[in-house]
Order: sequence, then C-alpha cells, then structure tokens
Amino acid sequence: MSLLSLDRHKAGLVAARDLRDAISELRLIVAMVGLAVAIPVAAAIGVRGLALYGGGTAVVNRLSVVGAFFVVFIPASFSLVLALESFVGERERTTLEVLISTPLKEAEIYAGKVAAVLAISLTLCYGGLAVYCLAVFPGLGYFPLDVLIALALSTICQVAAMVAGAVIISLNARTMRAANVMASFIILPMSVALQSEAALILLGRTEFLWVFAGLMLALAAILLRMGLNGFSREALLARDSGLRRPLQRAANAFRASFQHRPGILRLLWLRRTALLVAALGLPAGAAAGYVAGITGAIPGAVARPALSTLIGAAGDGSQLDQLLAIVSQNLLAVLLIAPLALVTVGVSGFLLTFLPGFLLGFVAAQSSWGVALAGILPNGLVEIPVAIIAGGLAIHIGASVIHMEASGGWTARVLAAGADYARALRWLVPALILAAVLEVRFG
Amino acid sequence: MLEVRSLAKRYGDVLALTDLTVSVGEGSCLVLLGRNGAGKTTALRCMAGVLAPSAGTVSVDGIDAASEPDAVRARVGLMPELPGLYERMSARSYLDYFGALYEMEAGMRKRRIDELLDLFELTDAGERWLGTFSKGMRQKVALIRATLHRPRLVLADEPTSALDPDSARRAWGYLKDLQARGCALVICTHNMDEAEHLGASEDGGAAIGIMSAGRALAIGDMSSLRVRSGLSVRHEVRELPTLQDIYLAIVGNHHDELAESRSA
Repeated sequence: MSLLSLDRHKAGLVAARDLRDAISELRLIVAMVGLAVAIPVAAAIGVRGLALYGGGTAVVNRLSVVGAFFVVFIPASFSLVLALESFVGERERTTLEVLISTPLKEAEIYAGKVAAVLAISLTLCYGGLAVYCLAVFPGLGYFPLDVLIALALSTICQVAAMVAGAVIISLNARTMRAANVMASFIILPMSVALQSEAALILLGRTEFLWVFAGLMLALAAILLRMGLNGFSREALLARDSGLRRPLQRAANAFRASFQHRPGILRLLWLRRTALLVAALGLPAGAAAGYVAGITGAIPGAVARPALSTLIGAAGDGSQLDQLLAIVSQNLLAVLLIAPLALVTVGVSGFLLTFLPGFLLGFVAAQSSWGVALAGILPNGLVEIPVAIIAGGLAIHIGASVIHMEASGGWTARVLAAGADYARALRWLVPALILAAVLEVRFG
Repeated sequence: MLEVRSLAKRYGDVLALTDLTVSVGEGSCLVLLGRNGAGKTTALRCMAGVLAPSAGTVSVDGIDAASEPDAVRARVGLMPELPGLYERMSARSYLDYFGALYEMEAGMRKRRIDELLDLFELTDAGERWLGTFSKGMRQKVALIRATLHRPRLVLADEPTSALDPDSARRAWGYLKDLQARGCALVICTHNMDEAEHLGASEDGGAAIGIMSAGRALAIGDMSSLRVRSGLSVRHEVRELPTLQDIYLAIVGNHHDELAESRSA
C-alpha cells in the first residue's frame, strides 16, 4: 500500500467528513478552543507579570519559551483522543465496516482520517501559539524564532506520532474502553519525550532542540508507516474472529515461535544486515569517542571517574571473583538489550557495540590507540563478535516491532525474533565466559 | 455476474468458510440460510472484495476479487447486518457522501437520493440527523446506501430484520425490482418468509443455499431442495413442505451426521 497511488479527491472526501463530524459536537469544540485560548492567555499573563514585576531578563526569556511549550502541549494531546475516536470509535460503531466496503483504497481512508485529525490538532496548537506569541513577545525585546520553529516542527511530529499510534491501537482494540487502556502505551513514552523537550528548552541550547525535533520526525515517520502498513481490511475485519481462549492461544504462539527456527550459522546469515549495522556501531562509536576526546566535548572531570569505575568494575578480589564479576556484567548487558530493543526499536542493539567503541575511541584520544587496544585484548577477540551478534539480533527484534503487514502476524514475528535471540544465548553465554577467562588470565 | 469457486476463508486457526461454489447470474437471486457462525457474513465479505479468499476464487462481472478488489467493490453494493450510519449526519448528506465515494455525478446523486428517500417514505426525515432515526429507518437508509450507485451485484446481510412487515414487503419489492433490472442479489437471512419471497421463486433465477459450520450443505431451487431434504410432501396433510421444514430437515440431518461421525 502506498500513499503515492492514492486518489487525493477521495482522501479529501474522507477528511472533510471527519472534520465536519468533529466540529459538529459543539461542547467538544468549545472545550478545545477554550483550552487552546485560555492556556496561552494565562501563560502570557504569567510571563508578562514576571517581566513587569522584576523577573530577571534571562529568567523571563527562558520562561517565555517554556510557556510556548505548554501552549502547544495541551492541544497536541487532543490529537490522541480525536484519532482514537476516528479509528476505534468508527470501528466500534461499525461505520468503518461500511467505509471499507466502498471502492476506497486503505491508503485513502488512512490519509483522509490522519489529515482530519492533524488539521484540527495543529490548528489548535498553532492558533494557541499565535495568541501566545502576540500576547507575550511584543515589547519583551526577545523573540526566539529558531526555538519556536523547532518547537513547531517537533509539535507536528508529536501529533503525527500520536495519531499513528492510535491507528496501530485501532488494529488491536475493538472497543473505545480497550483503546483508552492501550493508549497508555502512547501517553507514557510521549510524556517522557515531552519532559525531555521541556528540559532542553530550559537548557536553552537550540541545536539540541533541533536534534530532538529530528528524532521526533523519525519517530513520526516510523509510526505513520507502521500505521499505513497495518491499516487493512483484513486486519480490521479478520481479527474479530478466533479470539477465544486467549491464554492458550498466547501459549501456543510462544511455543510455535521456538519451532522450526534456523540454526546459529543459518541465523547469522539470515540476519547479516542487522549484524552489519551492529558491527558498524563499533568503528562509528570509536570515531565519535575519539572526536569527543580530542575536542573536549566531554569534560575530563566527567569522563575520568566514569572510566575509573568501568576499569575497576571487576574488583580486585580473587581470579574467580573477578571472573564472576565480568561474566555477570556482560551477561546482564546481553540479557537487557533484548527487552530494551522492544521499546527502543533496536537502538539498544546498536548501542551494545557503539558505546564500547565510543569508550575505546575516547581512551585512544586521551592516550593512544595502542594503549586503548591493549586494554581490550585478548578478551575483545571474543567479546566483540558476541556483542555484534547480540546487537544484530536485538536490532532485528526492534525491526520486527516496527514492521507491520496488512496480513497481520506482528506478534508471531516479534516472538520469533525474541526466540532467535534466546536460542542464540546458548552460544553467546559460553563465549562470554570464555572472554572473561581470557580477561582474567591474560588481560 | 457472480462466480464463486471453491471459496475458503481462514482467520488464523479458525476456518470460517470452506469449499463454497456458487454462481449467480444477471437478474438472479441467491438466498443464504444458516445459523449464526455458519459463514454467511464471511462469504458476503469475500464476494464484496472486502476480504481476500484464503483459497478459491471470486469474480464479479468477470473481474477477479483477489487481484482487483477496488474494481469489484465499485460494482457491488454491500449492506452489512448492522447499518453502520454516521449519527451526526443528515440522511441526505450521508447518502450524498457515499454517492461521491462511488464517483456518482452530483446531479445524478441528488436525483437518485430524492427518488429512493421517496420510495422508502423518508423524504421528510431527509434533513434529520441519523442518530434520531428508529432502527427500521436506519435499515432503510443502509439499503438505500448499498444500492444508491446502481451496483451490478447487491449483497445484503439480513436486510429487513428491523423492518415492520409492511416496510419489509416494500424492501422486498425494491430488491425484486432491482433484480428485474438485471441486478444480481445475494441475501443472507434467518427470516424464512424473506427467503421464500426472494429465493423460492419457481420460475428460475432464484436459488437457496443452506449453510452450516462454514460449508454449503445444499444449494438449489425449491424443488431440488425438497428432493435433497427427503420431504417431498409435508407431513400427513397433502401439501408441499415449507422452506422452514426443508431447512430444519437438512440442518438436522447434517447435525445427526456430524454427531454420528464424532461418536464413530
């Protein structure tokens, strides 16, 4: 399914109907517009009051941007409610079944509905932001255009991410009640993202905000693509059936994920792209660490205690104690990245090679490559391939999480990726023990 | 018009429909009877190009539903069991919206909507929100929506279940009229009167399919079903068995056979 092949006129018809439907509920509109206007006015009064009654320039300037963040935050959160109503609500009221029986393509329905929700949410966000800017900045002698543009861009992405998340929920929830519960999976990560954004605003580093907006853009693109791929007639209608005995079905699915899986060598060949990405993490990390070391991007006062802690982590007890400490640390890292890959869409797998590479490069910048490499040999000859394999398989878990198909099978794919990881531990854990023995004996 | 060959549909590990073969010509009607979960709705969805068959083929007007589902849906009017109306739209704007989705020209849409609202005595309610409509009125609007664009094939799931007897007869008359104009009909129902009215005509062009547990147990006209059921004469009185007798005999036999095969 592609957005390029859609008939814009038909998508426009769907969007226009959804817009008309949303604004036909007067109480909802009054509440939304009221909040979208009341919050900027209240925030503006607060900032102007602070400026008038002796707030320092730096504080007022910083708070004026934080105020802008709050102004767009509330209307942006409406998008989740509107999107759930548009997709799950229609499904629950069976109007979606009628819509999908028309000649419309899935992409046209999806694009129309997403456009309607985006139009309402962004109108409220930017309307509120405009009111706020007009009320706060004239006369303040400060207008952070770059910050506001970065904020506006990340708001579009946050709204799009929430809408796309709601579509994914709609494929798995048949009632609004279930959808509202499942919406926590969107609200919690989004609240973390928004708190991070607020912290970046308080830091006052515009370049960090642009990086954040870029990350939100990537997240929105991934979620919108997932929603588009998963939004299908089959998914919407077929999953109404065969839902009896869910626990037994889950147990069967879990058992099935371990059956007919490839052996370790075949698995490594099948996952070669993910392994390559994980392998690239090491030189990329080393390069980044080296640059960070020679440019002083990370202050020595921060880096040295961290490095000392890492070097001394094995302790200075007996060889057995050191061995157990090293094995347990490495094992913990390898065991944690798989579940973390589920929520970080595989980034944890990349970090498994990137972060050691970063440390290596950083140490090399502080001393020399010879000293840095001597610190990871000979155990690194075993540990690095283990990290590449574990990282690659974790990246595949993350890729399975964000890969949706019209024919369904998401759960089976994620379970199979997890099962592959669990089966690979049969080889990875002995290798980690061997690496620890090498480190204790020869390191 | 509609050709279905060895159609099967599986939802995960549930086999909802298997080995269905039917053919419905222009101006013909097929009535599908069967208890809940017999596979009737799944069959309709596959015929409408909404669900892809797991096995077998469906073609409408010579167009394969698996390879060109959009084209099939444009030729079909599907009326699901639940009307699925937008509560905060007037009947007129609702029908106009669906007419536009089927690419009907604006003037044609208006004429057709006026004509059908008048036929179903909904002209005065045309500007009211659908949320204020009674169950029967909603079902009428759903029937109008499914047939507004003059589809070549109408697929209706219990089209008159919420209608009073008079409105039901009016709806049957409308469906018969569509049939007379060359439209093919497939109707799912539990209502034996409806089935007899639409599918039991002895003059050809009508057939009844009896389904159970995802299978078509028997498909044919009334006389062939009488033979299949073994009820050539109804009980002691010298009169022909009704469709209800035939249905219960066939479904009953099937369940006896199932019970015997399980105990064996």
